Amino acid sequence: MWDLLVEPFSTDYMRRALVELVLLGVLGGVVGVYVLLRRLAFITEVVQHAVFPGIAVAFVVGQSLLAGALASGALAVALLAVGSRRRQIDADALMALLIATFFAFGVVVVSRGTGFQSDLTALLFGRILSVDQRELIDTAVVAVVCLLVLAALHKELVLRAFDPIGAEAAGYPIAALDLVLNLVVMLTIVAAVRALGTVLVVAFVVTPAATARLLVRRIGPMMVVAVAFAGLCGWLGLVVSYQGSVHHGWRLASGATVVMCLTVGFVLVAAGRAVVHVVRSRPVAAPSREPRPAAARP
Amino acid sequence: MTHSRFVTPALVLDNVAAAYDRDPVLEGVSGSVERGGSLALIGPNGAGKSTLIKAILGLVPIVGGRIEVLGTTPSQARGDVAYVPQAEALDHEFPVDVLQVVLMGRYRRIGWVWRPNRAHKAAALEALDEVGLAHRAHDRFGVLSGGQRQRVLLARAVAQEAGLLLLDEPFNGVDATTTDSLLAVLEGLRAKGVAVVMSTHDLSVAHLACDAACLLNHHQVAFGPIAEALSADRLKATYGSSALLLEGGTTLIAR
Repeated sequence: MWDLLVEPFSTDYMRRALVELVLLGVLGGVVGVYVLLRRLAFITEVVQHAVFPGIAVAFVVGQSLLAGALASGALAVALLAVGSRRRQIDADALMALLIATFFAFGVVVVSRGTGFQSDLTALLFGRILSVDQRELIDTAVVAVVCLLVLAALHKELVLRAFDPIGAEAAGYPIAALDLVLNLVVMLTIVAAVRALGTVLVVAFVVTPAATARLLVRRIGPMMVVAVAFAGLCGWLGLVVSYQGSVHHGWRLASGATVVMCLTVGFVLVAAGRAVVHVVRSRPVAAPSREPRPAAARP
Repeated sequence: MTHSRFVTPALVLDNVAAAYDRDPVLEGVSGSVERGGSLALIGPNGAGKSTLIKAILGLVPIVGGRIEVLGTTPSQARGDVAYVPQAEALDHEFPVDVLQVVLMGRYRRIGWVWRPNRAHKAAALEALDEVGLAHRAHDRFGVLSGGQRQRVLLARAVAQEAGLLLLDEPFNGVDATTTDSLLAVLEGLRAKGVAVVMSTHDLSVAHLACDAACLLNHHQVAFGPIAEALSADRLKATYGSSALLLEGGTTLIAR
């Protein structure tokens, strides 16, 4: 059994994939908790779609895909920040508009290119197995920067999420705090998009935190559980896709298998919690009024 | 009340008009609250009570007149003004414990980046003790009753050690124990020179907790000592047909 779980990581590319997923698990697990506290899952969706045209344009002009993703992600975050401060603009409508616009622009760019089919697949679903040393360093740097920012602003971000009017009344710059968190979400998406693709990346931010919230009721432990869950699912996903593809000929895409592990884990935890809830809420049987038989004495 | 010509009032409202967009939702509000004084904002739903509180906090634009808070502008006074929202307005499922909520009142003193130290935690526990909930410090905020959550939010304001306390309908839907506890804490704060401004529908609580009242219905109907401001004819002018005059001179507000 142990060999089954460890054997896939005898090759360099699988080890790099595992390290990348662990790094993304740490980053996504922590960032996801803030996303959940602020109910920002839809914003994660916006950024996820917004990085797509940036990557596509960067590919066409032969520039760094990371720089392209950063540029279009930052543009979406800025538009969100400006638009959401205006009372006349409905926030949900603005996000839906941004998703459609950015993604449509990306599709237009991709459709005008030639020989884009395989690259488009990589953009949409990621290429976790082709992650190189340089990309690992990029992810590690992004993770360290984002985690330092979140650690520094933790209490302010929690206050803003819990009591926005109270935070503003206390003099905190709400718009700036929102912008910082949106930028951290954007950086997380950009760091993860090469490994998991624009379609799957949101799962690595939202699912671990959502699972952790089912299990624990405090923010710190929630982050620990989310990180552990993301790392575990990353490892299991790689094992399943490797064993399925190499030994059984199932051809399982690694990124998608990891996301499936996350989803299955979430469903199992939710089902387990529901069972516990049902068992706990059962009425306790009333104690019998009949006298107990006296214990036999030696 | 502290009356001194050397001490500026805690709050000065000078013909204030406030608006979210272009059209004012509140106009012509004038009056002042001394340090240690207390003011009840009274009026029907949508009359502008919450708008006035947010204007004092500097969160709603002033389109006319002037507001002075603790001798300065609302935006500059923010760190020295505590705001107590209705407990019902906050997410009960939020994963935060009671002590953490009270510590939020210390955040401006703690400063950016730094974490609460022992002194801040001791101050938060002391504030919790004042509202009788020190024994619930490590419970999750959401498991408390509505009245207990309201007391925790008042403890957060106490921990802030502010000069002016703004409360938005603090007695809405709370039990008698909570009402007594809130009144006792507010009395203690006023004795220390903290000014209190609260919006309320409860005229009896307003009489108990405040020495002045401001009657609002998109404009100021009355502002003055509570017995004068809450006269039957002024309540009638504020609430219209919702104010019922009973035998013996008591006015009942039908909400």
